[in-house]
Amino acid sequence: MEKKVLGAEEKKVLNSMFWRSHLVFTNFNMVKMEANGFTLTMTPAIESIYKDDPEGKKEAYLRHQNFFNTHAVPFSFIAGLSYAMEKEHHDNGSVDGQTIESIKASLMGPTAGMFDSLFFNCLRIIAAGIGIGLCAEGSILGTIIFILIYGVSQSVVKYFFINAGYVYGTSFIDAVFSSGLMSALTKAASVLGLMMVGAMTAQMVNVPLNLTLNVGQTSVVVQDVVNQIFPGLLGVLLLFFLVRLIKKGARPTQLIIGIFVFALVGAFIHIF
Amino acid sequence: MVTAALQICLAYYIVSLLDPVLLSWQCINRPIVVAPIAGLVLGDLHTGIIMGAALESIFMGISAIGGSIPADATTSSIIAVAYTILTGASVEEGLAIAMPIGTVMASLNGMLTPIWASLAAYWEKLACECNPKKFAIANAVVVLITPLVNTVILFFAVSYGVEGLNAFLASMPAWVLTGLGAASGMMLAVGFAILTSMIWNNEVGVFFFVGYVLVKYLGMATLPIAIIGIAVAITMFFAEKRSIDLKNSLQNTKSVANDEEDFF
Repeated sequence: MEKKVLGAEEKKVLNSMFWRSHLVFTNFNMVKMEANGFTLTMTPAIESIYKDDPEGKKEAYLRHQNFFNTHAVPFSFIAGLSYAMEKEHHDNGSVDGQTIESIKASLMGPTAGMFDSLFFNCLRIIAAGIGIGLCAEGSILGTIIFILIYGVSQSVVKYFFINAGYVYGTSFIDAVFSSGLMSALTKAASVLGLMMVGAMTAQMVNVPLNLTLNVGQTSVVVQDVVNQIFPGLLGVLLLFFLVRLIKKGARPTQLIIGIFVFALVGAFIHIF
Repeated sequence: MVTAALQICLAYYIVSLLDPVLLSWQCINRPIVVAPIAGLVLGDLHTGIIMGAALESIFMGISAIGGSIPADATTSSIIAVAYTILTGASVEEGLAIAMPIGTVMASLNGMLTPIWASLAAYWEKLACECNPKKFAIANAVVVLITPLVNTVILFFAVSYGVEGLNAFLASMPAWVLTGLGAASGMMLAVGFAILTSMIWNNEVGVFFFVGYVLVKYLGMATLPIAIIGIAVAITMFFAEKRSIDLKNSLQNTKSVANDEEDFF
C-alpha cells in the first residue's frame, strides 16, 4: 500500500480531531459510554465531508453517536479510520454504513484490552514509581514527571494514531475497492463486528432477577434455573427484544424510560 | 467547618472538571496529581506533594478497568489532603477520615449512574439535529453540572459528617436502590441493541452467539476472541473473493462467447 499525501483540508480536519479526541470521556454514560466523545471528535470530519449533504450528515452523526468504548489512545486511531471510511462512503459510496459500524464495533474490545495493559497497567506503574520517589522528598517534579510520562506520552501517541488511522484506512479501502472486493469486506467486517458485540453483551449486560418461587416445601431460584438452560439467557432475551422494538421503530428515549420504570417497578414488587 | 468544606469542595470541583478533558484516562485524577492540586487550592502545596506520594502508593494497585470504580481514589485523596491541611492532622488520620467518605461517594455515584444514562436518548436526538455548536455547548453544560452534584454531596459529607449521608442512604426504601442498580445493568442493553440492529446481517448474525458463548462458557477475554474472529473473517473474505472472481470470470467467458456469436 502506498502512502497517501494529505491535503490542506485533511490536515486541518485531522488536527482539529486530534484536539477533540481528548474529550473521550465527555458525559460518559452506561447506555452508550464514549459515544459523545466520539461524536465530538468526528464533528470536524463530518462537517467537512458532508458539507452539502444534509441527509448524509444526519446519518453520519447518528452513526457516530452509537455505543462506543475503548481506551483513550486507540480511540483516536479508530476516529482517524472512521474519517477515512466516511470519506469513502460519501465520495464513492463504496463503503456502506453497516461496514463502518461493524469495523468500529470489532475494534473496540481488543484495542481496549491491549492498551489498558500497555498504558494503565505498565506505563502508569513506571511513571508513578518515579513520581512517588520525587514527591516523597517534597518536589513537585514528581507530579510533573508523572504527567509527562503517563499523560503527555498518551497524547503524543494519539496524534500519530489519528493520522495513521486515516492514512492507512484510506489506502486499505482504496486497495479493496479497486479490486472489487468491497462486498467481501463488508461481510467479513460484519462477522467480526457481531462476534465482538456478542462478547461484549456477555461481559456487560446483566438482568439481575432475584425471584424465588416457593412450590410447596421447595423453593426455586428462577435466575439459577434460567442460567442452567443458558447462562445469561435473560440478558440475551432482553437485547433481542430491544432489537425487535428498534426495528419496529421504537425510539431510544422510550426504551431507556421503559427500562428505568421496569427496573423500579420490578424492584418494588421484589423480582430484582 | 463550613468554610473548610467549601474550600475542599472547590478543590474537588476543579479537579473533577479537569480530569475528563485534559490528557488521557486516569492521569489528572490520580492521587499524585490531585493531592498537589488540592494542596495548592488550600494554600499548602508542600503537604499536598508529600501526601500525593503516600496516597499514590496506596491507590496504585486499585484500578478501574472496564468502567467500574472499586474505590474512589480521587475523592478520598482530596478529602485526606484537605483534612490534613485544615486541621493539622497526620496523613494517617486524614486517610482514616477520607476512606469512609470515599466509599459513600462511590455508592452514591452508583445511584446516579442510571440517571445520567437516561440522558443518552437526549444526546442522540441532539446529534441528529446536525448542529455541532449546540451539541458541544449542551455537552459542556452537563460536564459542568455532573461534578456539581457530587460536590454538593461531598459538601454535606464534610460539614455534617458521613453519618448523615449514611442515615440518608438508610432512609431510602431498599427497592429504590435495587431498582436503580438493576436499571444500570439493563440500560447497557439499549446501547448494544441499537448497535446490533445497525450491524445485523441475517447471513452471519449467528456469529453474535459465537462471541457470546466464548465469553459466557469459556470466560475468554476480548483479545483472544478478536483473534478467532479475525481468522474467521479472513477465511470468509477469501471465500467471498473466490466466488466473486468466479462470477467475474464466468461473465467474461459469457461475453466472449456472445462476441463470437455476433461475429459469425
